Order: sequence, then C-alpha cells, then structure tokens
Amino acid sequence: MKEKRKFRIFIYIIFLIFSSFLSLFTITADAYAAKISFSAFDLAQQTAPPAKSREAQAKAQPEKPPEKIIPAPRNIKESTAIYVFLGWMWLSIAVLIYIIRLKIKEADRLYAIKFFSPEKK
Amino acid sequence: MNIRQISKGILAWLEERLGLSVVMDFLRKKTVPQNKHTIWTYTGSLILLFFGIQVVTGIMLAFFYKPTLEEANKSVGRIMTEVPLGWIIRSVHFWSASFMIAIVFVHLLSIWIIKSYRKPRELTWMSGVFLLVFTLTFGFTGYLLPWDDLSLAATKVGTDIPRSIPWAGMWVTKFLRGGDDVSTDTLTRFFSFHICILPLCLLFVLCIHVYLIQKLGMSLPVPAEERGEARRELPFWPNFVYREMIVWLILGGVLISLAIFFPPSLNKSADLMAPAPEGIKPEWYFLFLFQTLKIFPARILFVSGDTVAVSLILVAAVLFFFLPLIDNKPEERKGKVITLFAYLFILYAVAMTAWSLLG
Amino acid sequence: MKLKQSLFTRRQFLNGLLGGWLGALAASFLCPIVKFLFPPTPEPDQVILPLADFGGVAPNSAKIFAWGSKPGLLKKTNDGRFQAFVAVCTHLDCTVTYLADQKKFFCACHEGWYDENGTNIGGPPPRPLRHLVVTIEGENLIIKKEGVA
Repeated sequence: MKEKRKFRIFIYIIFLIFSSFLSLFTITADAYAAKISFSAFDLAQQTAPPAKSREAQAKAQPEKPPEKIIPAPRNIKESTAIYVFLGWMWLSIAVLIYIIRLKIKEADRLYAIKFFSPEKK
Repeated sequence: MNIRQISKGILAWLEERLGLSVVMDFLRKKTVPQNKHTIWTYTGSLILLFFGIQVVTGIMLAFFYKPTLEEANKSVGRIMTEVPLGWIIRSVHFWSASFMIAIVFVHLLSIWIIKSYRKPRELTWMSGVFLLVFTLTFGFTGYLLPWDDLSLAATKVGTDIPRSIPWAGMWVTKFLRGGDDVSTDTLTRFFSFHICILPLCLLFVLCIHVYLIQKLGMSLPVPAEERGEARRELPFWPNFVYREMIVWLILGGVLISLAIFFPPSLNKSADLMAPAPEGIKPEWYFLFLFQTLKIFPARILFVSGDTVAVSLILVAAVLFFFLPLIDNKPEERKGKVITLFAYLFILYAVAMTAWSLLG
Repeated sequence: MKLKQSLFTRRQFLNGLLGGWLGALAASFLCPIVKFLFPPTPEPDQVILPLADFGGVAPNSAKIFAWGSKPGLLKKTNDGRFQAFVAVCTHLDCTVTYLADQKKFFCACHEGWYDENGTNIGGPPPRPLRHLVVTIEGENLIIKKEGVA
C-alpha cells in the first residue's frame, strides 16, 4: 500500500510540473516588471519597439540598426517557462531511461533464453 | 470494437496493399555484433537524429527568413526578437549543425580505424565521403545566410580558395559566387543550395548508404575476423533500438540545454564595401584547413603557396576517397600504416585547430 | 475497491508508461514549435496621422491609411466630422471603398454594401464595418481602437 501511495504522489508531482509548464505557455498574460533578476541570462532588450504607429515611426528619426543582437527570453514569463520546460525535459529523460533500462534487461533475457527462435516473427 | 481491434484492422488492411511488414521482419532479423567496437555503431543513427532536427528547425526558420541583401540580416534579427521563441529555434539549428558535423567526424574516424570499409563495403565508404562533403557544404552555405560581417568575410575567403588552382579553380569560384565577387546572387545561390540542392543530394546518397548497410550487415573488426570468431550478437529490434533511444535522449537533452544557455548572437548587417573585420575565422570544423593554408609561405618556387596547399589537400581528399581500394591488405603492414595515419590525422587536426584558436 | 484480477500485466503497464511518457515529451516539444509557427499579429494601440496630409480630405470623401497591417478609411462627413473605419469587409476580408455619390461603402468582391456609417445594408456582409475613434491633438489625428481609453 505504501508503494501505491508513493507512486500516486509521484504521478501528481509529474502532472503538476507538466501542467504548470503548459499553462505558462498558453496563458496570454502581459509581462509584469521583473524585480527578480535571473542569473543564467538577462532579459532581452527589445531591439524593435512595440508596434505603435507606422506614421509616428516614419516621422521619428530612422532607427539605427543595433550593433549586435544577443538573444534571450523577452520577459519573466518566458524565462520561467523555459526553466520549467528544461526541468520537465530532464526529469522525463531520467524516468524514460529508467524504464528503457528495464526493457533492455527484459529484451536481453528473452534473447538469451532464445524466446523468439526458431520461428522468428 | 475497441481501439486495439480497430488498429489491428487498419494495419491488416494496409498490409494487404503495401506489404510493408517485410521491413519489420527484416529489422527483427537484423543483428548488431557485440564487441568492444559496438559503441561506434551508435554514431550513424545519431547523425540521422541531428539531421532530422536540422530539417525541422530549418523549415521553421525558412518560414521567416528572407534571402535578399537588404532583408537577410533583418529577418534573422526578427526571428530572434519578435517571433515567439525564435531565438531558441535558431540556437537549436546552430548547435545541432555543430553536433552533426562533430559526430560525422567521429563516425568517419571510427570506420577508418576499425577498417569497416573492407570488401564488400567499399561503396558504403565512398558514398560516405560524398555525405561528408555535403555535410560540410551545408555548414559552409548556412554560415553565410545571416549575412553579418563575420559570415560575409568568411564566405569571401572560403570561395576564394578554389581560385588558387590554375584554370579550373576560377570556374569553381565563379560558380559558387554567381560571378566574380560575392554579391546578392551569392546569397540567393547559397540559400538555394542550403535548402534545396544539398538536401536532395544528401537524401539521395543517404538512401544508397543506408541500403548498402542493411544489405551488407555490420562488419567485424579485423582481429576478430582473422580468428574466425563466432559473432556475439544483439538483435537490432528491440534490444539495440532501446540502447539507441537512451543515447538519443541524453544527447538530445544536452543539445537543447546548450541551445538555451549558449545561443548564437547576430552581428549587424554586412556591408559589401567595408574592410574585413578583425578576427575572421571559419566555423570550428574548418579551422584545421584554415590554419594549414596559413602556414604555407606566399611563394614556393614558381607557384603560390596557396596553390601548393590546396593541391595537397585535394590529393589527400582523393586518396581518402579511394581508401578502401588502397587498403587492400588490411592485416599486413600496409594496413597498420594506414591505421597509424588515422591517428596522425586526429593529432594534426586537433593541433591545427588549437593553434588557430590560440594564434 | 479491490479488483479480483489485474487490469493489465506488468509488461503492458511498463510498455504503456514508456510509450505514454515518450508521447508526452514529444507533445511538449510541439508546444514551442506551434507557438513559433503562429506568431501574434497584434493590432496597433493607436495610429497617428498628420493633419497636414489627412486634414485636407474633402467632405463626403474618404482616404486610406494603414491600421497596422490592415487598411483603414478616414472619412470626413458633410458637417466636417471625422470618422474612421477598418476598411476590411466583414464578409471575406476584401478591402472596401467609399462611393461618395451614393454615400455608401462598397465591397467589389461580392457586391457588399454599407451605409455612410458603416452599417451593412446590402449583399453578403454579416456585420457592420469596425469603427475606430478619431480625436484631434494639435497637429495630428489620433486614431484609436473603439472602447479603449
């Protein structure tokens, strides 16, 4: 019974991580000002201002193209989503490798006892 | 009727008409030898994985990229700033290219050292050399497409190199550049090479390469064959495929993580009239060739140093292509010398690359 | 609730877990790809038109301006008021034109008719033309979305 409960809690955590990453990607909330700074990358400077008006832009000084564009997430929502995605991806890889190793043991044992020969499928 | 019955029914219907179960039967019968060299057999499918990633990310980038002088750099900039997660897609494309080429080199060197090209696998090796050339050309043509000052300079230098061969070289340079100089036509030409001509050529030769591998099976290393050892074997399906899946998962994960934390940046749009920027160098996979060219003096006797260097490299490439025919006695001393050459080449390439990066 | 027999074998369970999780991982890769392939095309919050170019519009005539990537029509009524519409036909997105002699908007694609205030009066269009709010600020006409401060 303890195993069943541990397993259930494990499934809940997986579901939580997966759905949190999905919701971060799909909810179209506007970015709020970042008070927290992210160590791995700085939030990107937008090189093009948000589309306000073509005429106003044309009237203003023609923009000098930026020297170098350094890519980064545009807002905190994107940064968090990326971290959650990476966490989910590596967790999935770990779980999948665990399951695949079990399957490898199974397949190797079946081959060793010649389960499939002489009539091969 | 539940889902299992329905899917079985559909598969039976397709099987009656397409007869594709021969593929699955073949895959179940196919085996992979198990010995200390088995680890190198993972490299082939890894190249395919990264190529697949290139195709998918490449198509996505091609939705937004505009291959003209005025728009190329701007469109890449737009992909990186305005298109949602565009910078990640571009970064994955950039990193997967490096991964693919690195694994192509590992694959090539492992085959060279293990001598898998022995009879009857000579054509597999030769088609592989073509694949190597196509892969490097993919890298070369792709590097120009962002049209920033570094990539323009690298292309000017790169397309100038064939010119050192008298007579024929001029035509190669003109063909690559679409004229005497790098211009807007060069960009369009490189773009159509990168997304149309090279993919078609590569897929065609790849089919030949993969067909030959399935037909001829996996080779045994020379000592094992000499002793006439019974092969310890692993069925391809499902045993080997499971192991491959693990390798794919780990390397795929590493690729994505690297792509997210070390994305490539974009310099400003190239100016055809501007002087060459400082610190031009080609991508890492060309560095050893670049350095080789640099160490030749300007003139040797009557010909320019470049001509000698490029001719030497061409001769080496031709010898490389015919390696299976040259190495016709692999167990004897000639064979051992050729294996030694493989190790020497590794040393040479690493040393030249390191020198190029430090100098 | 305890079952007499297991619903599936350990092998089936593992196979399902493997396949299902691989599928979930693949789906999670699809999310950013789909987001990439459908970039947002937001409309501008406002468009600024210089009075110098657009103030001289004759009464009972209209002039085209760019509303983001869509066409817009700036119309001056007979009493000198400005009206602005998104000049996209509500039927199948063709660009409408203003016929001054009939005081109607006309869509040539399927002969749709709108009256001088953009209400659909004839032909296939199911809804009136979208209104935009025009204000004059100094040297410029400011055109904004309806219902936005």
